[in-house]
Amino acid sequence: MNEEELLKRSAAERDRIFSCYDRGRENGVEIDPWEDPAYEVYHTTDRYGFIHDKRLPMKMDPNEIKLHHVEMERVKKWEKMTKDWESASTKEKLRRRIYKGIPDRFRGQVWCLLLGVKTLKKEQAGKYDEMLKLARQWSTEIRQIDADVARQYRDHIDYRERYSIKQRSMFYVLAAYSMYNMEVGYCQGMSVLAGLLLLYMNEEDAFWGLSVLLADKKYSMHGFYVDGFPKLNRFIEHHDKIMNKFLPKLKRKLDKCGCDSILYALKWFFVVFQERTPVTLGLRIWDVFLLDGDRILPAMAYTIMKMHKRYLLPMESLDEFCNYLQMKLEKDFGFDDDTVISSMERNIEELKRAKLDYPGPPLPQELPRYPFGTFKEPSFTSKVGRRSEEFSEAQHVMRDSVTQRRDMAVMEETRDSSTPVDPVSCGGLGGSKFSFDPSLEDGTSPNGSRRSLADTSVTSTADLSVFSSATRSQALDNSLDTQSNISDGSSGSGGLPTPRATPHQPSPDVVRIYVPYTPPSPASYKDDLPRTLPRSLETNKIRIRVDPDQTPIVENLKPFSLESPELELDLK
Amino acid sequence: MRNIRRPIRFRTKDNMANRGTAQRPNGQTQGKICQFKLVLLGESAVGKSSLVLRFVKGQFHEYQESTIGAAFLTQTVCLDDTTVKFEIWDTAGQERYHSLAPMYYRGAQAAIVVYDITNQDTFVRATTWVKELQRQASPNIVIALAGNKADLANKRVVECDEAQAYADENGLLFMETSAKTAMNVNDIFLAIAKKLPKNEQAGNGGSSGQGRRLAEAEGQKATAGNCCK
Repeated sequence: MNEEELLKRSAAERDRIFSCYDRGRENGVEIDPWEDPAYEVYHTTDRYGFIHDKRLPMKMDPNEIKLHHVEMERVKKWEKMTKDWESASTKEKLRRRIYKGIPDRFRGQVWCLLLGVKTLKKEQAGKYDEMLKLARQWSTEIRQIDADVARQYRDHIDYRERYSIKQRSMFYVLAAYSMYNMEVGYCQGMSVLAGLLLLYMNEEDAFWGLSVLLADKKYSMHGFYVDGFPKLNRFIEHHDKIMNKFLPKLKRKLDKCGCDSILYALKWFFVVFQERTPVTLGLRIWDVFLLDGDRILPAMAYTIMKMHKRYLLPMESLDEFCNYLQMKLEKDFGFDDDTVISSMERNIEELKRAKLDYPGPPLPQELPRYPFGTFKEPSFTSKVGRRSEEFSEAQHVMRDSVTQRRDMAVMEETRDSSTPVDPVSCGGLGGSKFSFDPSLEDGTSPNGSRRSLADTSVTSTADLSVFSSATRSQALDNSLDTQSNISDGSSGSGGLPTPRATPHQPSPDVVRIYVPYTPPSPASYKDDLPRTLPRSLETNKIRIRVDPDQTPIVENLKPFSLESPELELDLK
Repeated sequence: MRNIRRPIRFRTKDNMANRGTAQRPNGQTQGKICQFKLVLLGESAVGKSSLVLRFVKGQFHEYQESTIGAAFLTQTVCLDDTTVKFEIWDTAGQERYHSLAPMYYRGAQAAIVVYDITNQDTFVRATTWVKELQRQASPNIVIALAGNKADLANKRVVECDEAQAYADENGLLFMETSAKTAMNVNDIFLAIAKKLPKNEQAGNGGSSGQGRRLAEAEGQKATAGNCCK
């Protein structure tokens, strides 16, 4: 460019800028988005990439500054540790440090290590591309995946724009996975897993991470997402057991308001507390989840209920419960992340003592039946996206157990309100324990009959509702265990025997209790009996009749008040 | 957005939404209070949650997150001298979650089956839901069919006449709605409220204990056997 041209250019530039100001905002002036105050996205985006409604404060509050410093200190330690991942010293410190929270800049790397992504990726080189290619031709889940990618984490800057790079990755990962694991295909909820992993790893790593979450026994999410949700049932029942044992009052309140655990816990379990807890806490939960696996789910669910018990107990309606558990907690958990995680650690110990820390390994029906990556041509109906009008067998099982549980809860509620028992008089019964040794409970029974067992146990719970809540939960544990022993003997493995105690119309006058007629461990049973039989009182008497062929019956022989009942056990 | 705005509750009267404070059913005049369980069903991404959000909170989220499992909300509307409280169950749309649906529609007095007017398959799916409800739900259930996303008229695939004819044949209420523009959203709930019987059985709010309490407060008899058929 010669001098004349340069001068010309400068003049043109000057004119252009002048004319901009002359014209002002009218007449189709071109303004880049970042030039206008409307472009506030960077002021409202937090360090994790989530966009907020309001501009974030320019200054961090003192607590945040402190946390920031602590994290910087930890970064040094983590730098050392990640370089020497396999060493003994790492193994020793890892758990402690993960419970304190993985520094965000290490999250991707450490999550990959915990999931074993690198090895898998190497072993299965080329598989991801192959699956993605297959998906282009064959996947029958594309419409659903598209619908969910379009609305997953849209408040995150990476997913904000339609068809952005990250949205594309999420779509590809889920599409490819729908071919890799054709039994699950795609189930709503998986977009959360893929979306979150993709915030911390690249596309192929996220694919293998997702695969580990579903397939590895430690996480075993296949059982949640596969047709009929077999694992969900088991975990919900486990959660109910914990609630009955440790938070019986709250459980009763929830039942009374018609709040089935499935209503709030399904999402907790399916997406590991994402979108139900604040972002930072959600990440901390994922840190420990990836370390310790699915035992974190019941522990965290219990932790939430326990920490918020005093806010939940006064609530009187399902509306309030749902609003609190599904929305309020995500907005503001009310406790800082460290407090929550250390509370969960303590709760794990508490659950361990009660043998309720682990719902057990996956049942056969929760595991994949075919090797991954085996291609089977989809049926015509699934190709054209036609829906079956009938339930599959697995769905039947799910539907029946869910509706039965609802029936029981309703029945219990009906009974509660039709029997003149108030919580105070219930509490007064605390001394006269009609109890079995809770240590009979075998929290890890791996046999396949658990589902129907628990159905029975719910019957028992419902029927025992006139007793104190403490008694209830123990009897529940006991009947569960006994039943499992019975069905072990009678129906072999994998079968689903019919519940022994069938639901019946509640009546305020008759109390029926399921009592095992072949006690599994007579010793402990007997040991417990003398303690449980209260003083003799002629005026108040109930009799439990146990007949091998019939549902055992508790009969109320005399005018009966719950303050000081006598239990006469008539065991044949 | 992470910051969920404070819910705006409103009272609906004569098809007009008057935004105001939350209505206290017990503080009202001597009018009856009725509580009804209503369930929303329909294919994934047709706008079930958006319809509820519009009706209950008067909001619309462009990117409503997918419902995993189910959600529960309530909203109260006024109808002449009657206060109708809807207990709304919003369900997940994916076929995989179908097995959970009976838990929500059992004992429901009303259902809104939603489809997306820009997608023929969702209409077919809606008819399947209607069939299932007719077969499995309470015999007296009031079913409404909602053709949602009516604001996307230029992408329309399902003709209004076709849906209306189907609704007439099957005795359904029918409206085309838009959660985005709020078109017909309150109206469809009001139409349901009008059609629901508000006689002696009113007040049976499904399975929640609150239903009884409310009914008792009004001096009505709540018989346990009447709950949840």
